[in-house]
Amino acid sequence: MTAPFPTPVADEAQRLLTPEELEAALRDIGARRYHNLHPFHRLLHDGKLNKDQVRAWALNRYYYQAMIPVKDAAVLARMEDASLRRIWRQRIVDHDGDHPGDGGIERWLKLAEGVGFRRDYVESTQGILSATRFSVDAYVHFVRERSLLEAIASSLTEMFSPTIISERVAGMLKNYDFITKDTLAYFDKRLTQAPRDAEFAIEYVKQHATTPELQRKAMAALTFKCNVLWTQLDALYFSYVAPGLTPPDAWTPGTGLVPEAAVAQAPGTGTLVATDVPRLPRGVRLRRDEVRGQHVLLAPERTFDLDDNAVAVLSLVDGSRSVHDIAGALAEQFAADRTVIEADVLVMLNDLAAKRVLER
Amino acid sequence: MNALTPNAPALPAPVGLLAELTHRCPLRCPYCSNPLELDRRSGELDTATWQRVLTEAAGLGVLHVHLSGGEPTARNDIVEITESCAKLGLYSNLITSGVGGALQKLDALYDVGLDHVQLSVQGVDAANAEKIGGLKNAQPQKFAFAERVTQLGLPLTLNSVIHRGNIHEVEGFIDLAVKLGAKRLEVAHTQYYGWAYVNRAALMPNKADVDRSIRIVEAARERLKGQLVIDLVVPDYYAKYPKACAGGWGRKLMNVTPAGKVLPCHAAETIPGLEFWYVADHSLGDIWANSPAFTAYRGTDWMKEPCRSCDRREKDWGGCRCQALALAGDAAATDPACSLSPLHAKVRALATEEAAESPPDYTYRTIGSNVRSPLKEEAPL
Repeated sequence: MTAPFPTPVADEAQRLLTPEELEAALRDIGARRYHNLHPFHRLLHDGKLNKDQVRAWALNRYYYQAMIPVKDAAVLARMEDASLRRIWRQRIVDHDGDHPGDGGIERWLKLAEGVGFRRDYVESTQGILSATRFSVDAYVHFVRERSLLEAIASSLTEMFSPTIISERVAGMLKNYDFITKDTLAYFDKRLTQAPRDAEFAIEYVKQHATTPELQRKAMAALTFKCNVLWTQLDALYFSYVAPGLTPPDAWTPGTGLVPEAAVAQAPGTGTLVATDVPRLPRGVRLRRDEVRGQHVLLAPERTFDLDDNAVAVLSLVDGSRSVHDIAGALAEQFAADRTVIEADVLVMLNDLAAKRVLER
Repeated sequence: MNALTPNAPALPAPVGLLAELTHRCPLRCPYCSNPLELDRRSGELDTATWQRVLTEAAGLGVLHVHLSGGEPTARNDIVEITESCAKLGLYSNLITSGVGGALQKLDALYDVGLDHVQLSVQGVDAANAEKIGGLKNAQPQKFAFAERVTQLGLPLTLNSVIHRGNIHEVEGFIDLAVKLGAKRLEVAHTQYYGWAYVNRAALMPNKADVDRSIRIVEAARERLKGQLVIDLVVPDYYAKYPKACAGGWGRKLMNVTPAGKVLPCHAAETIPGLEFWYVADHSLGDIWANSPAFTAYRGTDWMKEPCRSCDRREKDWGGCRCQALALAGDAAATDPACSLSPLHAKVRALATEEAAESPPDYTYRTIGSNVRSPLKEEAPL
């Protein structure tokens, strides 16, 4: 029988790997195939997507989130060992929560609402791409039909997720004014949950993949799972980035949203927080006014006279320092308390941001 | 600065220079701020003179240069002039209609360091906008221009002059500004001098519509905080206090006409008897400090009552001299837009009366027309 999914290195299928070699081989699959490498994710994290493209991502990804407990329940149903089930059932609790309003699915709905969707529209999944549905359903079928070892191995993408989550949260907060820390609460939890889950799964796979054949199947399962994730992004890219061919009945911008969300917000606007990197956009210039012997901030149809403190802050606004960095530099320069300075700097910069002469 | 103003150490340095590069314009708006008698192309200053004026302005303390007109991109040397601003550290603001050759020159303007673009929009509905501007197919050109401005990353301000022909579109202007990616929107009610004075009866909105437009702007400011700054200029005739016209006469602004005449504000020529100096004959610093037109109403010494003893006299500087002349028949009178003026009630009544009648047709602005200023025919109030 030919392998249903190519293993990454053909030779490795021929001999029994040590557990460490097996882990290295599995990690290598992620290094080359995990969806953090997908062009859509690069655009997402670098702030290159517009709000509607971010919406398409949040909407489609909801279906994946919603089906995760269904998938885990299928895995659980295959486990005959109570000690295994006790561990695995935690995944279902994490996603479904202990009560209404709790859990990962709920947090994803919050994210979708945060970008403007109506909750009922997201839950209906009527606007998702067929490719999303096919990929996610294939994953559920896979864990039902394959061995328990393969089902558990397919979950190993969690080994790679902390990296992408940190990248994503930092990138999205920095680049999209419509994304707040609250919106991204889903990922806060996953940062601790995913490594815990992955640790159990990798140990299980290393222990139970005891023949070259089983090791090859574990690797194929992980490859399959990487493809489940990758394919979803292919479909998003094809439908909403380029060539932009949206299939019939799939979500189109402007639908499924709460009325207020129909008004788009410009990039770079919104309230600054300490981790934000402020910059003066084109058309705003800090200048020495020799005639009046002071510094001024020149902006569209207005001039701000600056006192020494404002000049000290704005001189450090260079598009690479965060507010936190700026406060740190000033604290050192003036031998003052950084926390106090940071609060003052935030007030001043947010005032300028509200006047549209400062962005992030 | 003191070297220029030996007798008046308190003389403030000018902040802004309104450079009316040309009166030529593809639009014919009935409220145009240009004078009724427009300068012709043959009389326009050449490139080198503009560059000298800009150099003198920078030396005087000018920070902002408003490249205006007419349509400033109608000048073949607009890119060179903008580049001079950048080299002198002057903040350049292109005040444009976005039609004609504007889009074609935009990339070059960006490359030489243009700082900001203010684009006029006459209406939201294309047919209405093109009726007001008097130019077919202007709206799509404006939108294409705005798109390129934001694509380049230049800050964009939309300027909408509000009157009874578009006051129902104030909400639409706000949505349009958001859609076009503007950072600022000016909702500027028509100021009734020059062409707008000729067309006042066709332009004057009623008080209820004005109040409604103010409420819409205030709500939108809250809703769009941090995204869109909305500057509101309320119509003088309905205001409580007048505006500090041009920031006070001869205090902040100089206006150079296409032919090089230097005015304290763009409408100052409507005041008879004022002596204006030309950049061909005097340096800008000399004109600022000493030209009779600038010294005539600078400060508070020229004021009469109720301005003279008013505690707002250094806030609004008595309002607008041109409007005082037009409505009170005396350029040194309190601006009748002020509720403290004895003529204020009459002004309010006049506005209400005109707004209640069905509007006459627009008199479109045009070079070489025979329109006479109604100032000469209408008896002062």
